[in-house]
Amino acid sequence: MAEDTKIVVDEDLDGTAEVEVEKERFLTFRSADLTFAVNTKYVIEIITNHAITTLPMVPNYIKGIINLRGQIIPIVDIRLRLGKPSVDMEGSDICIIVLDIDSISVGIVVDSVSQVVDSELSKISPVPVNNQQELVNGMISLDVNNVVLLLDCQQLVDSQMMA
Amino acid sequence: MDNGTDSMLDMYLFETNSLMEQLDELLIEAEKVEEFSTDDVNEIFRIMHTIKGSSAMMEFTSLNQIAHHIEDLFFYIRENGMDSIAPELKKNLFNLMFKSTDMLRSEIEKVENNEPLTENIDSIIGEINSFLNKISDADTSDDAAQANGEETDAPSVAELNMELANCPDDPAPFFIKVIFEEGCGMENLRAFMLVNALQDLQMEFRFYPDDVETNSASAQTIVDKGFFLALQEESHIEKVIGVISGTSHIQSYEVIENARNKKDKEAAQEDVQKTEVAASTKPETPAPAPAAPPAGARKAENTEKAAANNAKSHSGPVKQSLISVNLSKLDALVAIVGEIVITESMVTSSPDIQGLKLDNFMKSTRQLRKLTKDLQDIAMSLRMVPVSGVFQKMNRIVRDMRQKLNKDVRLTIIGEDTELDKSIVDGISDPIMHIVRNSMDHGVEVSKEERIAAGKDPQAEIILSATHTGSEVIIKVEDDGYGMDPDKILAKAANNGILTKPESEYTKKEILGLLLLPGFSTNEEVTEYSGRGVGMDVVKRNVESVGGTVSISSELGQGSCTTLKIPLTMAIVDGMEIAVGQSMFTVPIANIRQSFKVSNEDVVYDAEGNEIVKCMDEFYPIIRVHQLYNVETEITNIEDGILIWVEASDTSYCLFVDELLGEQQVVVKPLPSYLNSFNIKNSGISGCTILGNGNISIILDILSLYEMAQY
Repeated sequence: MAEDTKIVVDEDLDGTAEVEVEKERFLTFRSADLTFAVNTKYVIEIITNHAITTLPMVPNYIKGIINLRGQIIPIVDIRLRLGKPSVDMEGSDICIIVLDIDSISVGIVVDSVSQVVDSELSKISPVPVNNQQELVNGMISLDVNNVVLLLDCQQLVDSQMMA
Repeated sequence: MDNGTDSMLDMYLFETNSLMEQLDELLIEAEKVEEFSTDDVNEIFRIMHTIKGSSAMMEFTSLNQIAHHIEDLFFYIRENGMDSIAPELKKNLFNLMFKSTDMLRSEIEKVENNEPLTENIDSIIGEINSFLNKISDADTSDDAAQANGEETDAPSVAELNMELANCPDDPAPFFIKVIFEEGCGMENLRAFMLVNALQDLQMEFRFYPDDVETNSASAQTIVDKGFFLALQEESHIEKVIGVISGTSHIQSYEVIENARNKKDKEAAQEDVQKTEVAASTKPETPAPAPAAPPAGARKAENTEKAAANNAKSHSGPVKQSLISVNLSKLDALVAIVGEIVITESMVTSSPDIQGLKLDNFMKSTRQLRKLTKDLQDIAMSLRMVPVSGVFQKMNRIVRDMRQKLNKDVRLTIIGEDTELDKSIVDGISDPIMHIVRNSMDHGVEVSKEERIAAGKDPQAEIILSATHTGSEVIIKVEDDGYGMDPDKILAKAANNGILTKPESEYTKKEILGLLLLPGFSTNEEVTEYSGRGVGMDVVKRNVESVGGTVSISSELGQGSCTTLKIPLTMAIVDGMEIAVGQSMFTVPIANIRQSFKVSNEDVVYDAEGNEIVKCMDEFYPIIRVHQLYNVETEITNIEDGILIWVEASDTSYCLFVDELLGEQQVVVKPLPSYLNSFNIKNSGISGCTILGNGNISIILDILSLYEMAQY
């Protein structure tokens, strides 16, 4: 339930306002052997082991809907959304990150959730033109030789509108 | 726009709309007797006054101006009595009033839709003014006499004290003399508006002449001597000048210090009292507000009066305890109550306690169930509003068309107290209007002679009725006009190429059903009222969108009847739970005609291999839900599952499902908006619901499911 996007203001002891380093917090998760990151301001909660009711007549990447404390939330499978083959998961293993993107709630099915990292906005680099793909709008290099792809939440909801 | 203005706008629209409704009702009633009673005139004056004031506050100039001029007009009528208007002018007055209310209404609509308001309203204002001139010319002598009479009545404070420099005698240390632009007219009302504006400043002041609101003769006094504001403190002067300079039609103002500022306190006291007396004896107060504050706070009194008047229009002068609530709050309440209903059944039927003998627990749960049921009923009833609002609008339409088409028609309204969900009432207003227009335009005979020749009452009748039957409301629009000729309809349909089988095979019911198809309109000509390219098919679609159905019956020569069947509410549905494979679906009970098992021999096949089954001597297609929705199930043999014969509007077919799970009342939840882009609304799914065990069941829309199955 981390909704706190923080702008950390570094202040020296003597009180002079110093270089403001804009930091944002990201939740990283793995899907189809890739590591993604999603801004925590979108994340509502992470749930596992939730029964998904399948819906007829929708694209295959819409897994269905769930009942989250009385709220009906649609579930998107990120693997299928990216065009990767689906992996048959046992019901108990399904891990869902519930996002709230501009008050549109959507849950995404991921393989596993890794960690929450702080990253300076300046460390986010654009995706090289040749490698552009759907649902990714940036790359973040974390300290340990580790690059994650930034999930484009806006596109996740927008592309739905066009589909 | 920030929230503050938003809610102010909401309040404004709510208030203005309800005032307009009151006004409409009043006009229709008054027109029947071709006379405004004194109460009516006061009421109209008050309504216009309120609209004027609130529109000015919201800076809706056109509304303000129109209301202002109508107010002026009725001010005159109030002063001189309805009798002063020549009978032949009364008709004009009504027409003028209807026209201006239409104008007001269209402006309000613009406000609602966030469109710019009409800037040029001169024509309507000109009309009102010329009418006012006409009636005031007719009896100037009368007017003068009356004005004289009133002058003597007028509280003496104003007159007696107009001595030195025309200043009124008042202990206040400062006066502001306001002079209005020459010939701007209605100076007293302008002064009163100014006073109203100043009252918002929350400070003490008096004004002379102090009868500007009620005495039209004071206009002349103001023109002659000016309008005086008496202020207690120097610091107020600046604020007042701020307001004055923001007011239109003011030529000049001057601040005068009171030379005779040695009045004793007693006189001041007396003065205040006199003002109070003048205020509380205003002739227009129809029902003196019992709770009016004793201190002469006129503003408070005004609101009180307005409230009292508001209530009066409904049920006498007794104040009704009504509050207006935002619909979204109600929706939230209904949603939460829905949750409670679900949670309640989750608790009471929890698997953890199955098989346990828990007397006290059972007792408490029974109590809880009863209370939740009550709560649910109340929550549902909150959204229920009577259809009278919609029905009253029809009065107006019939009235207008009666004049334009010169047909003698009376509208009989039955059962206007019938209550429906608010959103449904809003949804059926247009369809009903369309049907009534159709009846007026095409249904009713063109002339009296024609009706007499047909042996009918010369005055045609349109009956608009609403009745309650269990889970639905039936709304009927009947006329006793021509009736519909099936042959003509058939020929027209053939002409338009919308027939799907040979003409001779159509039954009468089917022929009348053709009227509801897109691309059909019985009238060749497009008239002002009907046939604007919107046909009955739009009516049908609108009614279906709120879950209702339309049917037409007609006897040639005797009239026709359009029947709308509308569900009471869309929020809670009696549903049949069905299972297909692992999925659960809900079919609204209202759509189910029958469910039955069939053997393989009962099923026949058409050329394309579609399955058809015969029930009650008719053949109906079978739609296999598991095939349609690609649900994996072991039950594919028609003998193992069960058929549900469903019907919606004019569509009827059989659904093949695995099994029936039972009947349940379910709370309809819309599907997440995220899924709307997948056109899910047209895939036979109208929403979903959460079952007692927390599972989701998908609610099927029988009508669109069939349509989808066709492609």
